[in-house]
Amino acid sequence: MGKVKIKRKSTLIDMTAMSDVTVLLLTFFMLTSTFLQKEPVTVITPSSVSEIKVPTANVVNVLVSPAGQVFLGLNGDAENAEEWGSEAIRGEVLQTMAADYKAKTGKDAGITNVDILKFQKNATFGVPIEKMHEFLMLDQTKQDEFLAQTADKPVVLGNLKPSDVGIPFKDIVYKDEAGNSIVTNQFQMWMRAIYNSKNTNIHDAIQKGEGIAVKSDRGTKYETIQKVLDNLQTIKMNKFSVMTALKTEAD
Amino acid sequence: MAQIEQSSGGKQKKGAQKKMSIHVDFTPMVDMNMLLITFFMLCTTMIKSQTLSISLPTNEKVQQEDLQKAKESEAVTLILDTTYDENGGVKDNTVYYYFGQPLFEKSGDKITSSSIMVSKFEGNVGKELKGIRQILHNRNEEVLRQVEEQKDKWRNKQITEEQFQEAAKKIRNNSELTRPVVIIKPLNNASWESVIAALDEMQINQISRYQIGIPSPEDLGMVEATPEYQKAHANDKQ
Repeated sequence: MGKVKIKRKSTLIDMTAMSDVTVLLLTFFMLTSTFLQKEPVTVITPSSVSEIKVPTANVVNVLVSPAGQVFLGLNGDAENAEEWGSEAIRGEVLQTMAADYKAKTGKDAGITNVDILKFQKNATFGVPIEKMHEFLMLDQTKQDEFLAQTADKPVVLGNLKPSDVGIPFKDIVYKDEAGNSIVTNQFQMWMRAIYNSKNTNIHDAIQKGEGIAVKSDRGTKYETIQKVLDNLQTIKMNKFSVMTALKTEAD
Repeated sequence: MAQIEQSSGGKQKKGAQKKMSIHVDFTPMVDMNMLLITFFMLCTTMIKSQTLSISLPTNEKVQQEDLQKAKESEAVTLILDTTYDENGGVKDNTVYYYFGQPLFEKSGDKITSSSIMVSKFEGNVGKELKGIRQILHNRNEEVLRQVEEQKDKWRNKQITEEQFQEAAKKIRNNSELTRPVVIIKPLNNASWESVIAALDEMQINQISRYQIGIPSPEDLGMVEATPEYQKAHANDKQ
């Protein structure tokens, strides 16, 4: 009987095909992905049947936390990104806001050029303008830590107290040219600064009602959001959109 | 595939190197790619959020008065209320509603009303409409029927989607049909979810005229007097 010869086979598996597939998949995910924007509070939006997509350019995101703190996020123009990208418009708005604050209260917010550069990098902001300088002087991790603090773990950094999280709605009374007393607040001033930006696209978007997106958690009480809606109505920005998730149940 | 074959043709030169195949091991490359894919898969937001557009009246006094003038026969008032569990999560959304002007009796501080009714956001159960959707559907029947006719035409490819949208818009704003005017009045502790659910019902039921208002003292009194409200808020007062 002849010996059965077992042919010795190499155990090497050719990985080239596998590698091809993974690279393709990787390319797909890299090109289609949009990263989650960093937000100080995580909210779960209520669901609706509306199928209008959230615009990513020329939009002000008004984020209302369940505790009633209000944060603003500003996205600039996508088409005209060089002139009016997010960074350019954020810089312009901060300058307008600081000037407006000085004109209305007589106090200088002390915003420096370095502050403007730092502010441009922040997707979301929400501290009183008078503390903005101090806030922007902190490094990124400290800023995040400050904005994301919870009631049971308060964070105090210098003059920045837990009550300084969110844009204040405290009345600011000033006199116009005719000498009439007018009541406003920092939220209204920010919104006006954005509306009056030299970038006319964001101006048009707000007029059409696409430029403002209010986002809040499904469990937030209406009285909390009413404050924001009421202020928007006061400055005649009464057309806006609210962010919702797509309804999953069959309708 | 991953090996490079060296030419075997030609004369073998003296002192030429021994033929060997070069294997490139792709396993680490695949490993790395898989890691990257996992990263991108986890970090991407596949579902983009949707928006619901709303327009509110301005805060000016004149227009506030106009709001109250909505035709009584057409007016539907929804008063929203929410109860929360111990962790602050939404337990239940309730809708109190009445048509036109409510009838109520005042005796001291107490207001009782026979016209106030209670419902919930229940949506559809199978094909059947439930809760507040059923009520609003009945109120806006004429519009919904006509929109449905247009929708059938669109389904049968008789008209394009744009034509359907345009026709639907025309029907929604046709003042010859009986259309309701819905006034949504969220109580202070109503959840944002319930407000959106109410606005959503407007979309579903093709109601073009609606507004968000603030409940009047009478509204509050009537709601508080209902047994449903007292039952839901029995634990709050302790």
